[in-house]
Amino acid sequence: MEDAGTAPRILTAKQAGLVGCTECGRVHAPGVARCTRCGTRLASRDTASLQRVWAWLFAGLVVYVPANLYPMLRTTLLGKTTESTIFGGVVDLMHHGSYGVAAIVFVASIVIPVSKFIAIGYLALSVQRRVQMSAHKRHLLYEAVEFIGRWSMIDVFVVAILSSLVQLDFAASINPGIAAVSFALSVAFTMISALSFDSRLIWDVDVGVNENE
Amino acid sequence: MSDPRPAEMEIEGPKRSIWRNLSLTWLIPIAALAITLLIAWQSWAERGARIEITFENAAGIVPGETALRFRDVNIGLVEDVTFANDLSSVRIGARIDNIVAESLPSDAEFWVVRPEVSASGISGLSTVLSGVYIEAAFEPQEGAEATRFEGRDTAPLVRPGMRGTRIVLRAPDGAMLSAGAPIFHQGIEVGRIETPRLLESGNGVIADAFIEAPHDRRVTTSTRFWDTSGFNVNFGPQGLDLSVGSVAALIRGGIAFDTVVSGGNPVPSRYVFDLFDDETAARDSVFSQSIDNAVDLVVEFDESVRGLEAGAPVTYRGLKIGAVNALGAFIDDVSGEQRVKLRASISIDPRALGLEDDTAAEAEIITFLSESVQDGLRARLASQGLFSQSLMVELVTIPEAEPAALGIFDTEAPVLPSVESNVPDVAATAEGLFQRIDDLPVEELMEQAIATLRSVESFAGDPDLRAVPGSVSGLLDEARGLIGSEETQALPGELNATVTALREIVEDLREAGTAEKLAAALDGATAATDSVSSVATEITAATEEVPALIEEMRDLVAKANALQLEAFVDRATALADSADRLIASDATQALPGEINATVAELRGVAEDLRAADAIGRLMSTLESASAAADSVTGVAMDLSGATEQVPALVDDLRRLVETANDLPLEAFIEQATNLVASADRLVDSDQTRALPGALTRMLDEARSALEELREGGVVENTNATLASARDAAAAIEEAAESLPSLSAQIQSMVGEAELALQGYGENSRFNRETLSALREVQSAAEALNKLARSIERNPNSLLFGR
Repeated sequence: MEDAGTAPRILTAKQAGLVGCTECGRVHAPGVARCTRCGTRLASRDTASLQRVWAWLFAGLVVYVPANLYPMLRTTLLGKTTESTIFGGVVDLMHHGSYGVAAIVFVASIVIPVSKFIAIGYLALSVQRRVQMSAHKRHLLYEAVEFIGRWSMIDVFVVAILSSLVQLDFAASINPGIAAVSFALSVAFTMISALSFDSRLIWDVDVGVNENE
Repeated sequence: MSDPRPAEMEIEGPKRSIWRNLSLTWLIPIAALAITLLIAWQSWAERGARIEITFENAAGIVPGETALRFRDVNIGLVEDVTFANDLSSVRIGARIDNIVAESLPSDAEFWVVRPEVSASGISGLSTVLSGVYIEAAFEPQEGAEATRFEGRDTAPLVRPGMRGTRIVLRAPDGAMLSAGAPIFHQGIEVGRIETPRLLESGNGVIADAFIEAPHDRRVTTSTRFWDTSGFNVNFGPQGLDLSVGSVAALIRGGIAFDTVVSGGNPVPSRYVFDLFDDETAARDSVFSQSIDNAVDLVVEFDESVRGLEAGAPVTYRGLKIGAVNALGAFIDDVSGEQRVKLRASISIDPRALGLEDDTAAEAEIITFLSESVQDGLRARLASQGLFSQSLMVELVTIPEAEPAALGIFDTEAPVLPSVESNVPDVAATAEGLFQRIDDLPVEELMEQAIATLRSVESFAGDPDLRAVPGSVSGLLDEARGLIGSEETQALPGELNATVTALREIVEDLREAGTAEKLAAALDGATAATDSVSSVATEITAATEEVPALIEEMRDLVAKANALQLEAFVDRATALADSADRLIASDATQALPGEINATVAELRGVAEDLRAADAIGRLMSTLESASAAADSVTGVAMDLSGATEQVPALVDDLRRLVETANDLPLEAFIEQATNLVASADRLVDSDQTRALPGALTRMLDEARSALEELREGGVVENTNATLASARDAAAAIEEAAESLPSLSAQIQSMVGEAELALQGYGENSRFNRETLSALREVQSAAEALNKLARSIERNPNSLLFGR
């Protein structure tokens, strides 16, 4: 951003002694409990935000472990049952030469979730500690995480659709494994974690940094 | 925006305690962690126990996919496939369910189930799609928990837990044994054999076999096993015998068993049985092999024992009771001259004779045999079958055999006396039969038959014989012409008138009260009739003999038929011709007219009679007749007595007919022929032709005489005549009394006639000759008949001359 250098001059609502509504954006004087326009509860900063972020993030990480260790799909083909984990599936697809599909699965099921964990963790840390990344960039990162989060469920959707379509009894059938549930939970938890993050905190730290300088 | 003033604002610092500030959101990751850990623990806990199975190879086994099954239920999965330390085998690591692992004994058996197509069927078909799996078989044993096992190459014959008896079969070679071949009992598959293996000595093979419960009860020490593989063709006295087992047995081989004799003991596990080539050998082996207390005997034969060999059966009344053990020759010089005798030693099974199989049996058998030998028991060679050259020893009872005794010696077995065999030589007998057939004089017989037939044909073709029907026909025509003549037609009218006149006389008689007299006379007649009736009854009884008489007569007729009738027929034909001519003559034609006139005269006489007072005379005459009837009654009584003699008379008569039967009828026929010829000549003579004319004349005279009678004092004469008739009746009465003596005389006369005829009877030369001639003819006819039949059966014999 070309105006990164002008960042120190940004005046936050908190610095201006005002409270902004997170829903409709109206600025109120301090002391007002609820937004006079939309009725949302007003708070200058959500003090419990970081706790919730860490809690959800941690839960998402926990369930992400079985999502990778347990089989995602249980494929029964002519009486022969194959169980494949996410990473095993990617390897199989590569062996079969479907590099494109393998890449999509790999990105959607492994790269993105892991990136989200890292990004959310980084953002949460950046509020409490001093980091190199500017506030603007961190805000953009937050926006990206929030945007991508909803697409992380693509794996789960594929599993759900396959399971409901391919039920040919003996000939072929696909059933979701434990990993499917775990993965869905993991995605949901990280999304909630991202939503729990009060992005205004980014700027407080930034201000502090600027003030210290 | 240039100089914003900050608002006065209390900013609360994060001063509160961290615990009070703690968000409830933290419960989420804790719960997630807990659940994840729970799942992880559960997975680990369900992972099962690890076992290792060593196989020679790991064909088809895929880690993570190949399942372990027990009773066709998945109990685990192969985890990894590695080599043993020295690379000599493959070690399969598998996880099995804990519940199974707890009870897994160390003798559990594992083998790989693969699709298999064999003669007995297809197995493991499901593994074609799903891949192989490892089948486990074991007897669950609580708390065993063994983990290292040796895998098998093939499915075990007996899975642990199956009930039955394991036995060992021993055979000279393994050609008829193949692994998994079924064992049959009464056609039901009751077991299988395992792969046969060579004996260590190398002179045979043995194979483990398993008989499933409950059929293993049928296996005892007296059970015999034999091979049923393939098919069995047996050509014996019963004909061609082809037996085929099941198709599976045909391809893969099979074994059958049966318990041949009773009294076997249950067998322990791994009891060794011998396998026989076929059922007969198996059954026979019971005798040849297992005679523990066999009684040895020796039989000496003078004749050749070709065809007798060791193992040949010894039978007693058709039942096999033992076998020949050995054959040998020795020189017998007891009788002064040295002769080679053949000696067969035989063993007899005491059990086959129904004796207990113990040591006392030998003594019992010796006792029994020595008694039987005294009653005629002998050993004899006999053929085993119709076409078989092999012999057997047969114990037979020959009551008329020379006396002998069972030779009992201390050192050797008792000697059973033998007799010469009557083994038939089929070939020699057949040859003799054909030679005799060949010697039969068939050609001569044929010629004679042809000559005989030719004679018969010439007789039938004789023109004289053919002319007979024509002559007879002509005779009949003439007779019809005579009957159709006018005079003959007029006769009934005349007769009618005569009857009318007679009726008038009868009416007069009735008026004159003759009826009462007549009644009395009729009473007497009735009594007489009764007597006659009884006579008739006796005659009826006598006539029962008549059929026999008729038979005799029929024979007579048959003989007469057989006579030479040719000439007779000629003569008869000529006679018929002559008779024909006679009837055709004018005089004969005129006869009816004459008769007619005579009858008319008779009528006139009757009318005259009526006119005269003949009635009163008649009455007295009737009285006399009544008395006469009484006499007749008495006579009839006598006659009744006499008729008792009638059966005897009939007998005599029959004898007479028999005698007549035996008479030289040819001569008689000649005579008859001559007689007929004479009659012919007579009829043909002019005098005979003149006879009708004379007869006519005689009738004319009679008529004139009657006319004179009527004109003269006939009535007076009639009266006198009636008186005379009365006298005559009295005379008849007297005469009737003398009738019995008459009949006696007749009887004696018949007896004489019989005697005379018997002269021609049985012993006469004529009779003998006739009989022998008839026998010859009969035998000739029979020979002809046989010949015709044989030709019919075998027409070629005419061509080949035999």
